[in-house]
Amino acid sequence: MIDALAYAVILFAGAAVIWGLVTSIANKPPGKAQLLYVAGVEALTMIQSIIATAKIIGGFRPVELATTIGYLIGIVILIPIAWFWANGERSRFSGIVLAVAGLGVLAMTLRLLVLWTPAG
Amino acid sequence: MSDGPSRPETTSAVRKTNSGAGRVLVAVYGIFALAATARASVQILTKFHQAPLAYLLSALAALIYIVATVTLARGTRASRRLALVAIIIELAGVITIGTLSVLDPEAFPRATVWSVYGIGYGFVPLVLPIWGLAWLWHTRAP
Repeated sequence: MIDALAYAVILFAGAAVIWGLVTSIANKPPGKAQLLYVAGVEALTMIQSIIATAKIIGGFRPVELATTIGYLIGIVILIPIAWFWANGERSRFSGIVLAVAGLGVLAMTLRLLVLWTPAG
Repeated sequence: MSDGPSRPETTSAVRKTNSGAGRVLVAVYGIFALAATARASVQILTKFHQAPLAYLLSALAALIYIVATVTLARGTRASRRLALVAIIIELAGVITIGTLSVLDPEAFPRATVWSVYGIGYGFVPLVLPIWGLAWLWHTRAP
């Protein structure tokens, strides 16, 4: 984990949550720009998981290793599934589906920052 | 979760659980299915001997979330019956485990998603089955 990158993920995921809620309130399905933006948040999340995994392979040992690995894997599948689920039926609720995924990524990154404490 | 948009032939008489606001319900259930499954797997694989009962309950919670997610996402007449059963068990589980964990914290040291009514997950585990039952009622056959 890199703190600055984690904060960036939190910030961009938070913006995705707000954007999702805004399109829902506006009673519109998410547009192309929003879908691309959410894909961008996913890319950032993946970079974060790859770097963290590389650090673990490189010898870093967080206190709860298994839980940390679970989070690093789990966090990257949220947005792709939500993205397709949101597009499966495009309505005002698609934005909330994307917001839920963004909130999940945000919460999991906060948890990862806590988990990222060296063992011993 | 990424089931097709609609299956009119099997849902003619009932309103679909996987449409409209139901999409959001399925998304939230999906996140809990993922979280609970990951959590139970880690607990059972790495420290099962520490609290076997709590970790088996974790696995049960995970299974219920998976069943609820899939059945609500399918939205057929048969699947909503299964969803109803799963969500009733879920509600009973969160109330039972929640209460037990408050009365006897040592037996349930935050080991399941349902401990203290899901406090570790912003009490969403308590709200979710109520929302689920309300949604099944809302989409019932006329």
